[in-house]
Amino acid sequence: MNDRDQYLLQRLQRGIPLVEEPYREIAEELGISEAEVISRLRSLLSLGVIRRLAVRVDHRKAGILVNAMVAWRVPPGGVVEVAEAMARSAEVTHCYERTPIPGRWDYNLYIVLHGRRREEIDRSVDHLSRTTGITDYAVLISTRELKRAPPGLAFLSQGSSP
Amino acid sequence: MTDWHPDTRDLRLLEVLQDDFPLARRPWRAIGDRIGIPEDEVLRRVRRLTGEGIVLTISPVLESARIGLLATTLIGMRVPPDMVDGCASVINQEPGVSHNYLRDHSYNLWFTLAARDDAALSRSVDDIIARTGLSPADCLDLPAVRRFKIGVRFRFLPDGDGEGGA
Repeated sequence: MNDRDQYLLQRLQRGIPLVEEPYREIAEELGISEAEVISRLRSLLSLGVIRRLAVRVDHRKAGILVNAMVAWRVPPGGVVEVAEAMARSAEVTHCYERTPIPGRWDYNLYIVLHGRRREEIDRSVDHLSRTTGITDYAVLISTRELKRAPPGLAFLSQGSSP
Repeated sequence: MTDWHPDTRDLRLLEVLQDDFPLARRPWRAIGDRIGIPEDEVLRRVRRLTGEGIVLTISPVLESARIGLLATTLIGMRVPPDMVDGCASVINQEPGVSHNYLRDHSYNLWFTLAARDDAALSRSVDDIIARTGLSPADCLDLPAVRRFKIGVRFRFLPDGDGEGGA
């Protein structure tokens, strides 16, 4: 990734312009051609620097009010199988294995679920528990959002000087 | 918060905008072709949804590992109610923090933190804990071992209604 890619990504973090030919508008701002904007984006996608180009939604405003983090205690040998089963579930947005703190906090698999109502979340958790056979878990419901930022953005702007 | 009254076309548009945004000269026309709505109507609706605060941006989702953030952790803290705002402002200043939530548990404050490598991450964790004034005994540091899924994609249409009329 070079400086031009960095400038392009920084500009795009503010969003694709809502005009008929958005890549041309960005190209004019950056003083490069529209074809270059598109080809750089294609290559950043194929390199995996950009996971995808997509809408960011204020999910609370859109009625998706509840987010639950569920921490599961999974026997070490079963983590991959259980994690993959949970990851397949559409309402699970994140699924990570984490290092537990033995004796203090023994949960080693973490998922985040989003839903419109608490009952919806409870039903999903209950279903995941029954289908995976994992019964030792903690459900932590969000009560207040203190920060939500696109990961990496701050680092991108820090490291951008030529 | 929920006086939003979308119609089916809004919902279908939000669903399709969560997929790969077209790298075409006229991307809104390509979006419209996917769901049978004219280009000008797509743009009009996206502008309105943006004005209503439902759509924040259409932008690249960066892969943190590919921009040099190789180590991540989840921190849970037991924070007394009168210290929540102070702790939150210390934590939120940190550029590596992307998500920070209060949750209904004795460990009531949870945030994710990323850094360039394990050493930088653990320095950052120690530094944040010190600045909050909490005891390390009230903090859980749960580094990620493996990621199985990250795909924040919301369903706006009921199952099986993807082809329904507007």
